[in-house]
Amino acid sequence: MSHEKKIPLIRLAKRDGMEGWKVWCIRCGSILFALLLGALVMGLAGANPVTAYGTMISGALGKKSAIRQTVKIAVPLLGCALAIAPCFKMRFWNIGAEGQITAGAIAASYFALFWANRLPSPVLLLVMGLAGALAGGLWALIPAFFKAKWNTNETLFTLMMNYIIIGVVRWLQGGPWEGRKGSQIIPQFDEAACLPRVLGVHCGWIIVLVLVVFMHVYMNHTKHGYEIAVIGDSINTARYAGMNVGRVMMRTMFLSGAISGIVGFIVASGANNTLYDGVAGGVGFTSITVAWLSQLNAFAMVGISGLLAVLSKGAETLQTRMAVPTSISDIITGILLFCMLGCEFFINYRLIFRGAGRKEARHG
Amino acid sequence: MKKFLALLLSMILVLSLAACGGGGGGDSTPADESKPADAQPPADSGSEPAEGKTVKVGLICIGDENDQGYTYNFIRGKEAATEALAASGITVDWVVKWNVGEDSGCEDANIELAEDGCDLIINNSFGFEPFMLKVAPDYPEIEFIACTNQASWGDNLDNTHNAFANIYEGRYLAGIVAGMKLQQMIDEGEISESEAVIGYVGAFSFAEVISGFTSYFLGARSVCPSVTMKVQFVGSWSDATEEANAASALADMGCVMISQHSDNTTPATTAQSKGVFHTGYNNDMISVAPEASLIGTRINWAPYFEYAIESVANGESFDQDWCHGMDMDAVVMTDLNEAIAAPGTAEKLAEVEGKLRTGDLQVFDTSTFTIEGKALESAFALDTDGDFTPDSEEAVFDGAFHESYFQSAPYFALSIDGIEWLNSAF
Repeated sequence: MSHEKKIPLIRLAKRDGMEGWKVWCIRCGSILFALLLGALVMGLAGANPVTAYGTMISGALGKKSAIRQTVKIAVPLLGCALAIAPCFKMRFWNIGAEGQITAGAIAASYFALFWANRLPSPVLLLVMGLAGALAGGLWALIPAFFKAKWNTNETLFTLMMNYIIIGVVRWLQGGPWEGRKGSQIIPQFDEAACLPRVLGVHCGWIIVLVLVVFMHVYMNHTKHGYEIAVIGDSINTARYAGMNVGRVMMRTMFLSGAISGIVGFIVASGANNTLYDGVAGGVGFTSITVAWLSQLNAFAMVGISGLLAVLSKGAETLQTRMAVPTSISDIITGILLFCMLGCEFFINYRLIFRGAGRKEARHG
Repeated sequence: MKKFLALLLSMILVLSLAACGGGGGGDSTPADESKPADAQPPADSGSEPAEGKTVKVGLICIGDENDQGYTYNFIRGKEAATEALAASGITVDWVVKWNVGEDSGCEDANIELAEDGCDLIINNSFGFEPFMLKVAPDYPEIEFIACTNQASWGDNLDNTHNAFANIYEGRYLAGIVAGMKLQQMIDEGEISESEAVIGYVGAFSFAEVISGFTSYFLGARSVCPSVTMKVQFVGSWSDATEEANAASALADMGCVMISQHSDNTTPATTAQSKGVFHTGYNNDMISVAPEASLIGTRINWAPYFEYAIESVANGESFDQDWCHGMDMDAVVMTDLNEAIAAPGTAEKLAEVEGKLRTGDLQVFDTSTFTIEGKALESAFALDTDGDFTPDSEEAVFDGAFHESYFQSAPYFALSIDGIEWLNSAF
């Protein structure tokens, strides 16, 4: 009896091999739970939750024009989630995608602003895309190099790099690339430097879908992908197997940065048709959530980024039609993400209550 | 297994309880609120006749009304216009989008409002215009307004508009209040003639700002001939800390009067703590700095909103480029702080305001200022080839530079003698 008291009220135990249907029960349950919590929040804000959810869905998917806008929001999220997936698989915490997007956008904008008259449109766009990829890749290579050489902390390093590159854009906006004096606005790109539209949305959506397939193959069916997985599991094993860990890190970060740079090119050329300091707009961080929720599965990312885009566009419509502040929708999105990420905990661990412990143990 | 089912069942129980709570709590009041919004659009399409018209107007704001400055000033205009229009039988159904960025999010906001059935969409920030122009061609039946910007005269679209106010008139009057105070201080021996220095906190070296502080300075010099001015740019339209730092630095350099073209009230409070005087912008700042703030000036958007919405309601076209000042009360002065203003200020203000209204007085009278020692004889107003340098329309004629005459957005961007730019990096 006496040692019974020393056992904490709740203990955690790792569980493995939960049956598939149970896993999905928990996942669906958590989404349901999140929606109900969200309904509570909406109720407190003074909106009828049923109408509100209906408005969100119809606002995001109800009309052709709405779907186009939703897709436009999803494109950079998906692209950037694909970019950071290999880093996270390798357990290299790249939270600098924001800066890598910005670096790519700067390089692409340079050609858009100063080469638009000299190159035919398709060549110009290709050059912009390549320049974006190169700039994003090099920007990402810097922290990777320091990590490989001197084992610096990549989380802090990549984060700090964001602020530097965003500062560079601010300088360009107010200085050499400024349009009307004092306006802090870089002029809109020439028509030739804007991504053409396919089905009403800039064709960045096609580029990211191609990247989905590429990333799936790269991660699962190539030697590079295998090396990344091994390093992610254990650096020592990778070394023992004769892999050059530093080189793989730098190579992977370059690839990750390059894809982020392409996203930067897509956003600057396709969506904004100009460059400004908010070009990444938090995508570099939100996409981390997308990548985790998809468990680094490239195809799952399509769905998750779509879901987030629906929520985001739906929130805008909610504000327009029902005058619900967008911050309320942010809260609801937050609850949903929290529950979805949180339920993985219950899938991987089980709670053992005091007293029940012994019985459980005998069964186990 | 049994445990799992039990857990599942209890979860469902909890959830359904939450559902009842959530549903029940939300249903009661808000349903009434949401219904009129849903019900109104069909109502307006049905009722065409003169009385009881409804116009649905979208307003896209860069901030929200809590800024107590730029966006708040628009909301004031919105409310005053709504009231005035209600009196003439026009109901305005507003849809406001807050905190929209100057990026493709602005394009989305314009599409969203257009799809929601707005008849008129107002973009309140300068940087919104390029994104508005991407949407306007797709909705020719909807009127689009970009406040403070300038593309409408050259974009070949009939449904785009620009609007601004002759805020330089208000600045000039505020300058007179400041100048009279400085002259009083000189006359009473508090400062010497050469110590009458104004410090100006500007956002950027942007035409709107330059035009503003030049007119302010000319107003002050018209009543205090020995005055000079220093301008410090802060590199942001709204950065409370930087604005306070700039005001503080200016006061330390010997400026005894502070004014500003930036969104926050911190220059006013800094002026008060430094023991110098202040004149404000966008809002009455006397409440935050009663011992320093003399007067403020602001754009009153109500007359324009009223005009534009009424035109839309009547199915008439309206000016593509609108700019008025004191003549239509589009520029107003906030209350004069009689307790600290120089004696006779109110009378002088009334006199000059009368002259501005009738056009007897030109703010940018070329006989009142020089540039590098010479009188201004020629300056262009408009940029027609897109290189951001004015190249067309002579603005100097009849003895004055005509500001906001060829387009509503200010274009006076010259540096006159007597005003020292401390930094022009922005």
